[in-house]
Amino acid sequence: MPADRHVIYLPSIAGDPGSSPALAVLEAQGWTIVRPQLPGFDGESGFDCPNDYLGWLTALWDAVDATGTGPCPVIGPSVGGMLAADLAALRPEMVTKLAVLAPFGIFDPAHPGLDPYSVPTANRLEPLFENGVPEPFTGRFADKGEVEAPVARYLSDIAAASLLWPIGDRGLADRLHRIRCPRLVLWGAQDQINPVGTAGRWGDHTRIENAGHLLEWDQPDAVAAELSNFLAPA
Amino acid sequence: MKLLWFHLMPYPELPADFREKHRSVWVDLDSNLLDPDIVAQSYDTYLDQLVFAEEADFDGLCVNEHHSNGYGLMPSPNLMASIIANRTSRAAVVVLGNSVALYNPPTRVAEEMAMLDLLSKGRLVSGFPVGTPMDTAYAYGANPGTLRAKYREAIDLIMEAWTNPEPFAFNGQFTQQRWVNIWPRPMQQPHPPVWIPGGGSVETWDICAERDFVYAALSYYGHLVGKESMDGFWRTVEEAGKDDNPYRAGFLQFVGVADTDAEAYRLYKEPAEYFFARSLHFYPGFVDPPGYSTEASVRAKLASSVRAAAMTTQATGGPSWDEMLERGYVIIGSPDTVREKLEHIAKTLHVGHLMTLLQFGNMDDELARRNTELFGQKVLPGLKGLWSDYEDHWWPSNAR
Repeated sequence: MPADRHVIYLPSIAGDPGSSPALAVLEAQGWTIVRPQLPGFDGESGFDCPNDYLGWLTALWDAVDATGTGPCPVIGPSVGGMLAADLAALRPEMVTKLAVLAPFGIFDPAHPGLDPYSVPTANRLEPLFENGVPEPFTGRFADKGEVEAPVARYLSDIAAASLLWPIGDRGLADRLHRIRCPRLVLWGAQDQINPVGTAGRWGDHTRIENAGHLLEWDQPDAVAAELSNFLAPA
Repeated sequence: MKLLWFHLMPYPELPADFREKHRSVWVDLDSNLLDPDIVAQSYDTYLDQLVFAEEADFDGLCVNEHHSNGYGLMPSPNLMASIIANRTSRAAVVVLGNSVALYNPPTRVAEEMAMLDLLSKGRLVSGFPVGTPMDTAYAYGANPGTLRAKYREAIDLIMEAWTNPEPFAFNGQFTQQRWVNIWPRPMQQPHPPVWIPGGGSVETWDICAERDFVYAALSYYGHLVGKESMDGFWRTVEEAGKDDNPYRAGFLQFVGVADTDAEAYRLYKEPAEYFFARSLHFYPGFVDPPGYSTEASVRAKLASSVRAAAMTTQATGGPSWDEMLERGYVIIGSPDTVREKLEHIAKTLHVGHLMTLLQFGNMDDELARRNTELFGQKVLPGLKGLWSDYEDHWWPSNAR
């Protein structure tokens, strides 16, 4: 598959319910969004957690390779940002540009934020957004019916939680120096669960005002503009 | 039937407005509420009560493990069990911790259980709970997505450490050891009885049925909702092709005995209300870490009346005293009333090990001892003969 107009997109803490308005802008510009099928994020039955982070990275490598895409740019929000950064650090030949949005992977005790998993299950999506929970998230799994929808919702949280438990730090600070491709770091100024105070640990970054953790949904225009500029050929 | 005396060792002086001013008795409990002098005094009192329970003719003495918790002051039940082992001589010492997935390597649990078995001269029951979400995932940071796999592996390691006479290498997904060769070894051979405390998880029924461990149902919501859990366990036992020996199971029940039903109603109201309103006041955000429950258990829980009871308790500010009695959370009355109800419970649930909570909430020492004494003298003798046609294969060899 030719990779020149393809971009790999990895899921966030809330999975991937479909293209955000920000990604839709990129698609309108001719980018094809490629979504590696990481295990567990889809809420389907039968998911077994990898035992450790190496197991997760192996699953990521396999999922990326299965797309047949790359080398190409990679976008990762939230937990997907952590995985994208490790892809760039450990398989640098695969990543031409790295865009991360409020990535986990480095925990700063000075900015612990809200533990997303100490929020009651029914309310867990709310702190991820500054401007209300978008419909693609609230309506996700609705087609599964009253009985199966809560099961699927629970299952879909397991993958991200296992990657982030207990504090979302997988030693990435010790690997950041290996990322040699161009890097864009965006952060919601009102991120409750991964506060913008952590952003400095990632080097240069851009604050997006009036945006929470999943900033591409809170401020799609601003995020799309940043991504478009970054992805545009030099 | 075996009658056991279970101590949670609660903090007895949570303030009356605890529920209004604090969100949880577990995980993020305010340390300013804790007075070390009260804890130190409570430890002495509670240990004395456990020793007194042996004198009152109880068959076993139970302790368990909780972390960052205001109703259970035993992060390490092993410390308490070592004292009990030394101060008693006949009763089984039933340790319904350790949450084996929390310890690295779990070999340490194998060693400490061996020590306790020796200290008690072969009276140990070793309990292996998964541990609650609050204890494991939140207070100890254990990854809920891998907790159960780690738990199963830890049990495998401990069982082999107890029973393999040779030094061996253990190559697990979570623990690897080139040399496993514990010294000392348990007194009981091939190993101390293993009980698995559980709250209704399908996986716990499975492991008990498969490996012939005792399923010890620890719900605070009484026998009526507990029946659902016990029925699930017995179905699993049957499907596994095992016999229906009631000693495969244990059940926990709050109990208050007095000379008359009316007096019991008056005496046990306050400690029960303390327990359900304050000790059991936990934040719903600490209940469901993703991955803690398997898919099968999630489905079962969604339909579970145990969970419904727990969530209702949280949402409504705790049940009223009359509701606690009506729903069977607490069994109270004269000795005859209590004996009759407990016999009904044991038969209905088909359990051979009845774990009684005779001190709960802020019950003072005098009432706890009176409760224990009355139970021992007037309730216990009428229950001991139950299940006499079955043999208890899960009882420590040197406990009476």
